[in-house]
Amino acid sequence: MCAVQSVGMLPVEHLHLEHVLQTVCVLESVVCRSFGPEGGQVLFTQDTGQAMLSRSGARILTALRLEHPLARMVVECVLKHSTETGDGSKTFIILMASLLRIIHTTACREPHVSRTHTSKAAAETASARHLADKMLAFASEELDDLIAAAVVPYGCCLSWEELSAKSQAHSNNPCVQNLLASFFQSRVGPTHCDLMSNLTCELLTNWKFKNDSPSSSLHFIRDNLAALHTPVSGFPISFSRLVEGQVIHRDFAAPCPRADLQPVKAVVLTGYLQPKLLRAGEVLELGRGEQSEERNIMDFSAWGERSLECVLANLQSLGVSVLLSAVKQSAAVLALATQAEMSIVECVSEDELSLFQRLSGATPVRDCRVIEPEHVATLTFCRPILLGAHRYVHVAFHDTEEKITVKPCSLVLCGLGEGQTDQFACALKDAMRMLLSTWDPIGITAAPFKQCVLEPGCVLPAGGTFELLLNNALLQHGSSCSISDHTNKGVPAVSQLLAKALLSVPRQIYYHSPRRLLQTQTRLLSLTKNHLSIAHNKILTQSHREDGTLTEPCRGEVLMSGSGLESVSCKSQVLLAALQCVSSLLRVDAVLRTHTALHTQSHRRTNISWAGTEDEAED
Amino acid sequence: MAMSINKRLSWRQSVEKVMSRLVQKSPSLCTDLPLDNSDICTKLYLLRQLLKSCFGPTGRLKQVHNNIGGHVITTSSSSVLLPAISSSQSFINLIKTSILNHVSRFSDCGLFAAILCLSLIEQAKQSGLSFSVAIKLNKHLLGLCTGYLQQEDCGCKVKLDFCSSHNLITLARSIISSKPACVLTESEALHISKLAVHAFLLTVPCNRPGEVRLGKAVTVSVEGHPVLNSAVFPGLLVDAPDVSGIDESENMRSNPLRVVLFSASLAGDLSELGDGIFDVHPGVDTDLQILDRLLELVKQVVEDEVKLFVCQKVIHPVVQQHLKSRGVIVIERLGNPLMETLTQLTGAQPVATLHTTIPAKAYGEVRDLSIIHFGSRTMLQLHPPGESSICTMILCHRNETMLGELKVAFQKTEHVLRLTLREPSALLGGGCTETHLAAYVRHKSIQEVPETLSALGCSQAELLLGAGGFCRSLESVAAALEHDGGNSLMDLTHAHHWTHPADVMREHLDESLGFCGCGLMEGSPEQRRAYLNTNYPQFSPAPLSRDTAVQPRVLDSFAAKFNALQVAVETANLALDVRYLVQDIN
Repeated sequence: MCAVQSVGMLPVEHLHLEHVLQTVCVLESVVCRSFGPEGGQVLFTQDTGQAMLSRSGARILTALRLEHPLARMVVECVLKHSTETGDGSKTFIILMASLLRIIHTTACREPHVSRTHTSKAAAETASARHLADKMLAFASEELDDLIAAAVVPYGCCLSWEELSAKSQAHSNNPCVQNLLASFFQSRVGPTHCDLMSNLTCELLTNWKFKNDSPSSSLHFIRDNLAALHTPVSGFPISFSRLVEGQVIHRDFAAPCPRADLQPVKAVVLTGYLQPKLLRAGEVLELGRGEQSEERNIMDFSAWGERSLECVLANLQSLGVSVLLSAVKQSAAVLALATQAEMSIVECVSEDELSLFQRLSGATPVRDCRVIEPEHVATLTFCRPILLGAHRYVHVAFHDTEEKITVKPCSLVLCGLGEGQTDQFACALKDAMRMLLSTWDPIGITAAPFKQCVLEPGCVLPAGGTFELLLNNALLQHGSSCSISDHTNKGVPAVSQLLAKALLSVPRQIYYHSPRRLLQTQTRLLSLTKNHLSIAHNKILTQSHREDGTLTEPCRGEVLMSGSGLESVSCKSQVLLAALQCVSSLLRVDAVLRTHTALHTQSHRRTNISWAGTEDEAED
Repeated sequence: MAMSINKRLSWRQSVEKVMSRLVQKSPSLCTDLPLDNSDICTKLYLLRQLLKSCFGPTGRLKQVHNNIGGHVITTSSSSVLLPAISSSQSFINLIKTSILNHVSRFSDCGLFAAILCLSLIEQAKQSGLSFSVAIKLNKHLLGLCTGYLQQEDCGCKVKLDFCSSHNLITLARSIISSKPACVLTESEALHISKLAVHAFLLTVPCNRPGEVRLGKAVTVSVEGHPVLNSAVFPGLLVDAPDVSGIDESENMRSNPLRVVLFSASLAGDLSELGDGIFDVHPGVDTDLQILDRLLELVKQVVEDEVKLFVCQKVIHPVVQQHLKSRGVIVIERLGNPLMETLTQLTGAQPVATLHTTIPAKAYGEVRDLSIIHFGSRTMLQLHPPGESSICTMILCHRNETMLGELKVAFQKTEHVLRLTLREPSALLGGGCTETHLAAYVRHKSIQEVPETLSALGCSQAELLLGAGGFCRSLESVAAALEHDGGNSLMDLTHAHHWTHPADVMREHLDESLGFCGCGLMEGSPEQRRAYLNTNYPQFSPAPLSRDTAVQPRVLDSFAAKFNALQVAVETANLALDVRYLVQDIN
């Protein structure tokens, strides 16, 4: 059958440039509410009635539960980007919208004049697609070098050794704390960003694995955050603090251990201590119990209790006084353990047990008949801790090999409600991601043999500096290209378009005070002019690389005063990711709405590929 | 926001259009700038009026009943009222949850926090300040308040002295009398307050070295008796429907009595069997085999001279009969909550095994048993063998509704009294703390140096505007205590709170001097006073010279109010910070 007809059975939605633009602009208008210094929170109520507060672009977009495939594609790209870098999802959307707007105007002005296009709209779309691809190609090819030459020299390198300004002699030097403060300002708001960045720095200092790269601490906190923090609602945020050791989010099932007992020996159990008499599918023959082969039911029950007593006697001989169990134990276990002066913590989550294992160095008991000293963990204390409405178990670890390098600690995160503590925890996790991508910058250039030109920990002042500097560099690059290379007419146009698109970010930041945008712009321009007149700063960068800290008066310092910081690597990744997303969006030309399997006819259709519909749709 | 109305409208239309196109199921409800939305503003206003009308000892009561004819609750307390207000508006729920979270931690000052929070939101809107500036200012002014409250010489703080119960009783009475739905007379309120302090003191262990672990006050409510019959009993009272024969038994006379506590069921079932199948030979009765074992177990218990046999779950009737015939007192179905209290009281360790010999140390003791008849209820009073921090409070009231409210009030009082152990101070009640703080903040914010202003990123005028709103909010909480049309005033020396009844004419004002809200100050004709929420001159509120003979008549919990103040300001800031609402209505 004819392809048009058969496709006609499905509702087809042809996508034009305007649709794409409109969709992205709506997303932009939502994220803009929480962008920049005047941005605020977005409050979501899920269908479960649960409230969620967020300033994070990725969370806002996910919570919108968009149905349209185009919008979902954008959200997927944002999510992918934000799980990698933890930051920049709002900038992502703003850049996308701006790129699309510019592509739209350019494409409408000079659509690809070709006879193959049936309509003006189709011509525009094709032209836009072409433009987007060229922009992406240009960015993949040149962006790394441009950033290295024109942006990085104004930046500074953060030192991992000194996290917070407190310990630094020169308090003017930028430090991780400043970077975190700017990050949290965009995530939890200006009133709580200092508190959160202080807490995070303290957390990082305590969890610093000596003789190991900074990224190992960041990976560790990111992966174990659920076990490392305790949300407590009903208190002001300023009550948040760090506590020594680990908080296990369960209460003692049997009485708490004696406070005077030190050190405390503990084991981790993964299964039941009291054996079940019969597993499913087994058959037990019961008799009167008079003959030896015919057993009374009570004999079996007595056997179960006796074996339990043996296990507990073994534990007692090892000096164990705390049992951490992954499952709920029987009443008999609780009672016998109490009599043996052992306390039990039941139903401990897997994450918390694995963290406990890692910090204590003990292996969990798999078979309770074999408990050896290697299963026994030594704790400095194990006591109840009351946090909000709940009583939890608080443990601290005895000196082990690892303890010499790290000071295990947990974060107590207070907030007005669950929505707020959730928001803080998410922000903290993303902060770890952001720091990771700052420290291990991934080269954005497509060429695999090219080494990453960004040095780890490179930061710039926040507030649009990156975009303004890059904008400047792109404009210059464009003009120099047009002078030197007359053959390639496309490139200068593309770099200029890109430069224009970048400006939307600082414009959005200074939306409420255009005067400040002008001031910043002028300041940066004069700085770059000076830069050009002074000899190249390669020597400076070199010396600064060698000792790792910022000793020479670098140009960055002029910029660093006052404002916050942001990571150059995150910024450049956002730009490239937005370009990739734009170019892949514009490659889609239609949406086909297929039926679900509930429909009898369409049952077969779901099994066949998209291309196959042409032939089979008729029957 | 600098967006023009036209622009905003067209923007919203385009959002709605695309949203409905994007979201197929049913579009999420989106609200842009919720505080500009008239529906939300009306709801906030109504909520504030509702909560204000409940505030304080003369607050108006609210009846809560559901649409399916469920039972009616009469209340004025935030912990009952707020959960009953269910709003479809997530913005309202955000504020509600935040206040309820505070109440569940501190049990007091919920209405204070809610009214303050709602006033702050309204004042911020009225001030015309940009919300981000208002948020920064609120945080700064809150810092002034908390800093002042933590100072040693804070003019509205009273140190609590545990050597005398006077201030503790005042604190307890302030909480109980702020719950008018309990319908207590003056003397009844005093009686309950004294009992609350008595019960609290009984739960604090005296001579125990090391870590102090507080005991427990178990409450038992009895309906239909006069409030003055309420009483505190040391030890634990448990229901014992069948006490016949206890008195005659001479076993009772041997003191102390040995106790056994079972945490496993003794009804003749086995819990740890697993999921397998039993193939039972004909003629074999497994139930009987289990019962035989139970009886053997009980035999050992009787031989060990146990006189009180307690089980958390059910006891087989045959076993019960057997025990009773040997003169053992049986209590079954005690339930989990009382088990822990009973182990604490008797020192027994719960038993859950049927085959193991019960070790001697698993047995506990009670010094004495007595039978208490209270109305229709018969209870056994278990006296601890030594010093113990367990007591039982019997609360009586004429009907169920009032009794329900009284129980809530009593538990809150107990909690607040416990909080004083951590922070042994209280704040002046009757609105005096609020007016005093307002005067302090007004005074301080005028003196603010330029450095602070630049750190805050705002101008002097903005600070004054913000501070004015903040102080008016505090004053409006004090003014909310008055419900009979009277006027709220503040004196211009110590900044305490005064109310003038509505029917007093201006010329007779001197005669109605009386006392201030907290009762520390007595009115005098020379005193200069100003109406609240008027432009009175700013002044530094002087602390009162402490005359030990005069004691405050109304005190508020320091810990609860300190937290409530912070929660109120932070919640208001959070609400001001919300720029967009998305409600999934699927």
